[in-house]
This record gives sequence, C-alpha cells and structure tokens, in this order.
Amino acid sequence: MTDASRIAARALGFRALVWGFTLMTIVPFGLLLLTSVKSKQDLFEGAFVLPDRIHWENYVTAWVDGHFSVYFWNSVLVVVPVVGVSVLLGLLTGFAFAFLSFPFKKTIFVVLTLGMMVPTEAFIIPLYYEMRWLGLLNTYAALILPQIAMSVPFATLFMASAMQQLPRDILEAALLDGAPRGLILRRVILPLMRPAISSLALFLFIWTWNEFLIPLVLVNDDSLRTMPLGMLFFQGRYTVNIPVLTAGAVLVILPIIVVYLIFQRKFIEGLTAGASK
Amino acid sequence: MGKLEFAGLTKSFGHAKVIRETDLTVEDGEFVVFVGPSGCGKSTMLRMIAGLDEITGGELRINGRVVNDVAPVDRGIAMVFQSYALYPHMTVFENIAFPLQVAKLPEAEIRRRVAEAAAVLKLEERLAHKPAALSGGQRQRVAIGRAIVREPAVFLFDEPLSNLDAALRAEMRVELTRLHAKLGTTMIYVTHDQVEAMTMADKIVVLRDGVVEQVGSPLELFHRPANRFVAGFLGNPTMNFLPAEATGTAAGGIAMRLAGAGEVTVPVEGGAAPGEALELGIRPDDLRLGAGEVRFRVVPEVIEQLGNQSVVYGAAETGQAICAVVSGGFGLRPGVAAEFGFDPAAAHLFRQDGAACPRRVVPGATVAA
Ligand SMILES: Nc1ncnc2c1ncn2[C@@H]1O[C@H](COP(=O)(O)OP(=O)(O)OP(=O)(O)O)[C@@H](O)[C@H]1O
Ligand SMILES: [Mg+2]
Repeated sequence: MTDASRIAARALGFRALVWGFTLMTIVPFGLLLLTSVKSKQDLFEGAFVLPDRIHWENYVTAWVDGHFSVYFWNSVLVVVPVVGVSVLLGLLTGFAFAFLSFPFKKTIFVVLTLGMMVPTEAFIIPLYYEMRWLGLLNTYAALILPQIAMSVPFATLFMASAMQQLPRDILEAALLDGAPRGLILRRVILPLMRPAISSLALFLFIWTWNEFLIPLVLVNDDSLRTMPLGMLFFQGRYTVNIPVLTAGAVLVILPIIVVYLIFQRKFIEGLTAGASK
Repeated sequence: MGKLEFAGLTKSFGHAKVIRETDLTVEDGEFVVFVGPSGCGKSTMLRMIAGLDEITGGELRINGRVVNDVAPVDRGIAMVFQSYALYPHMTVFENIAFPLQVAKLPEAEIRRRVAEAAAVLKLEERLAHKPAALSGGQRQRVAIGRAIVREPAVFLFDEPLSNLDAALRAEMRVELTRLHAKLGTTMIYVTHDQVEAMTMADKIVVLRDGVVEQVGSPLELFHRPANRFVAGFLGNPTMNFLPAEATGTAAGGIAMRLAGAGEVTVPVEGGAAPGEALELGIRPDDLRLGAGEVRFRVVPEVIEQLGNQSVVYGAAETGQAICAVVSGGFGLRPGVAAEFGFDPAAAHLFRQDGAACPRRVVPGATVAA
C-alpha cells in the first residue's frame, strides 16, 4: 500500500466511526419525530414504518388539549428574564472579578464556586420555606428569582474568565484614552464580549428551559407550569396516546434547537480580528 | 511642554527589583530612545510613565509636577503599543475619535482633529474601514493617530515598529522622525533595534537588568561607550573583544601586549599596572585588510559578499572569533589565512570590570564630551 492510500484508509475508518456516533445520536431523535406524526394504528405496524399520511393533529392536540400553549408561554416568561438578568449581572460581577480589587475577593470567589457545585436538591426544601415565608409560592417570581440566583455564580465565573482573556493592551489603551470604567465596559468590553455573551446566554437558556425541580416544588398551579413540568403532567393524562406524547416532547425540545441554531454562529465568530498583528 | 524627571525611580514586582534607582531628565521636545536587551525593563519604565504600573519608589515629575499618584489620563501622555491595541469593533475614524469623544469634545472639533491627524498619517481613504481591513503599517498609523489627536505633552512608543517588515519599518522610521520634527513634542521610544535607536534618537538611554548603563547622544554612545556592555550592544556587527595584558602606562596611552599581534599602545586616559588584564575592543568596520598599524592573521570561515563590502567571520590564530567588514576583499577565501589590521586610535579599551578607559581621540565625530 502507498502512503496516500494508507492515509485514505485511516481517514475512511475515522469517518465511519464519526458517522456511527452521529447516527447513534440522530436515530432516536428521528424516531421521536417520526412517531409524533403517526396515528395510534400506525404505531402497531412497527417503529420504523412510515405512516400513510402525516398526522399533524397530534401537535394540535398537544398544544391545545395538552395545555402546551400555556406551558410554552410560561417557559418563555421565565427564561427571558432569567437569562437577561443573569447575563447582565454576570457582566458586572465578572468585570469586578476580572479587573477590580475589593475586600474578600478570593473568599467570595470560592463561595461562588461552591454555589455552582451544590445541587438544587440540597436546598430545595429551605428554598420552599423561604418562598412560602415571602408569600411567593405559586407566582412567576418563585420561578424566576431562584433561577437567577442559581445562574449568577456560573455567569460570573464565565464572564470573568472571558474578560481576562481579552487583550490587555486594548483595555489599557482605553484607560489611557481617559475612558472611565463604565464607558470601557460599555464601549470596549461589551462589543468584544459578544461571542462570550451569546455562549453564556445559550447555556443559561438551556439550563433554565430544562429546569424541573424548581417549578415542580414551588408552583402547583397548572397555569404557571413550564414546559418540562407540563410534559410530566401531560404524560399522566395521555399515557395511552404515544404519538401525542411524542409530539409534546418535540414541542419541549424544539425551542432549544432553534435557539441553538441562532446562537451557535456567534460562538465561532471571533471579534478581536484586526486589533493587533 | 513635556519635561520629564525621574528621581530615584524604582520598580519591584513582589521581591523582584525590575528597575533599580534611576535618575534621568528628558528635556521638552526631546526624542529619547530606551534600548536594551529583552527583559531589561524598558516596557516597565514606559508603563510607569504612563501610569499603567505603579511606581514603587522615587518620584516621577512631568513639567515639575509629581505624578506618582496622578491618573494616566491626567498626565498628559499618550502611548502607542507594540500590538497597536486598536479597538477592533470600531472604524478607523471611531478609533481615532475615541479619546476625543471620551473627553466630550464638540462633534465639529472631533471631526476637525481626526481629519487633521488622518491627513498627516495618510489615512483619509481608510477612515470608514475596520482595523481588520488594514495593513500592518496602516494599523500602526491609526494607533499613532489615536495618540496625536489628544495633543499630549509626551508620546510614549513601546516597540511600535517591531511587527512590521523591514521595508515598512524603514519607511515608518522616517515618518516618525518627520512627525517629531513637525509636532516638536517630547517622545520616548522603546526599542531593541539599535538602528532605530541610532537613527531616531536625540538621546539614547541604554538599559541592562533595570540599570541605566549610559545616557547620551547616539554618536557619543557609539564612539565613547562607557563600558563593554554598551560597546557590544551598539554597532552591527558587534565589536570584537580581544584579550590583552597591560605592560605599562606610556605617554601616548596604555601599552599592552595583544596575543598574536604584539605590542600596542591605545590612546586612552588613565593608567594600568603592568600585568593588568584588559580587553581591547575594535569594531568590525575599523578592521582593514592588509593595512593598519597593528596586524594579525585571521582565517576566514564565512565570507558574505555585499557587493562593495565583504563581511568576514573567522578566527584569529589565538582561536579568538573575529568579525571584520572590509571594502573589497574579493580575494578572500574560506580557510585561507589573511592579514587584517587596525589603527590603535580606532580601538576601545576596557578594564576587567567592564568599564571603558576614556578615549583621547575620537575618529570621525565631533562629540561634545
Ligand atoms: N507584571 C509583572 N510581574 C512580575 N514581573 C514582571 C511583570 N512585568 C514585567 N516583569 C518583569 O520585569 C522585567 C522587565 O520587563 P519588561 O517588560 O519591562 O522588559 P522589556 O525590556 O520591555 O523587554 P522586551 O524587550 O522583551 O519587551 C522582566 O524580567 C519581566 O519578567
Ligand atoms: Mg517590552
């Protein structure tokens, strides 16, 4: 065998492996999509059999009868403020940790790291009592406020490390140009941080969208339930109708995929091109 | 007005003393170049002047005012970074206008000043572009533009040309000198390129390991280096150093025995006890082929023909590496010994501790000693 063909063979093997993994990831997902447009009768023909027509009505049933319209808007109403406020706070606290010195900086940093490691299960009971004492149970505030608090540690560490990686010269140049802190943050750091901010927003979006325990424990009013929780109660009501169930599942996942596709382009874009040689 | 005075200035990072006590005066309108090998503290010096690094000890005065605790923006300085440090998300216009916008100047004034700077730096066509769309030289000019619109009293440049190719570097060198002549502002320029230092400076400050080795005009430093380090640092190719042993002090200077070349008397001030170990320094272009009072044989190893000149790298009979730049020299062959020589007046003399013996005659230069 020549060198070239050996390399080609190795590349082929590698590709086959990658394709294998890709298929393993995609097949269950494709199956989910397929099932969601089948009728109950189609389902008995076999998992991989195509339906004779596409049953969109499964989605309508899930959206209307399954209350997914309500759950969807609740999720949006919770995710948008949580992501927005957390990113904003993360920018400010990240800036402080990256560039300023203040008392107990190290200690606070450690506390934040701990805050990231403690699982929700560990503090959900005290949180429940706290919310009850504040009279916030069964409100949007009960869904939003704790999740902001849970996002800020990660947002802070993420923003701080991203800011530390900004070219130092540029910030010093701004300092010499006489820009005060706020202005440097707004006009120099913020534009350079766009890729980092969109990655952070994406992470927070996915976590908040999928959050289960907080809405489960802190609200029990169906009109306040979010998507993942709605899915649980929906399952209870529709266990027999698998296609409608899968349609509900698709509705839960779809926004994540859409948001990911929008944001991931920003991941790759580098914005510091041209700052230096 | 931009006069700088360093009084016992020091800088430490933790326990590491990076700048030792430095006393230095930079006159208004002077072009001062800091040179020195990598890590000697040039950037640190600039950053202390700019206010980006805190001053550990001593005083820094700008126009008589102590600025140790003055914010960078209030020191009346502008700095051009080696990496240009442009704002990548802003256009050239916005980059240059940024310090003016920060200072809240009226819009019309900002436009006027940016247009003026752009004209000086030949950037008019580029004002709407982002830095990514510019060449290295243009980016460097934008960085300079951002500095000049503020009309500072002192300009600081940290190796501004080191990212450019040789041709562009030569061009920018001339442009910077022209800019200095036009603005008449004090400029402090850091480089480790000795050509930049020699060609641009009114005054060169040679640094080594945080210590100022010598301050003076380029020619003064070149012809009267204070010590072996300065002598070896300036000049290209570097000076040859030949070990010698003093035989006594004569009327014409210090007499010595040079291994492989016999007796030499170098016209310098001071005296030497017989037997004292000395080092004779001779610049490669002061060596001549088959001429000169003092002769010795060199076996060339590598010969670079530059057309009108030949650069010869070889070894003397003592094994000492020798570099010579001679006119002609087309007959030289690697491995075939040839006789080189020099005039004692062209030589430098250094003592064991590196200090130079002051030269009596300085060829080719009128130096205010
Ligand atoms: N923030 C810092 N903390 C600790 N040591 C530092 C710091 N900045 C610089 N130094 C040290 O100070 C010394 C001088 O550094 P400096 O950057 O001034 O050198 P330089 O002369 O500009 O070198 P170069 O030509 O490579 O730019 C170096 O030994 C460096 O390691
Ligand atoms: Mg440096």
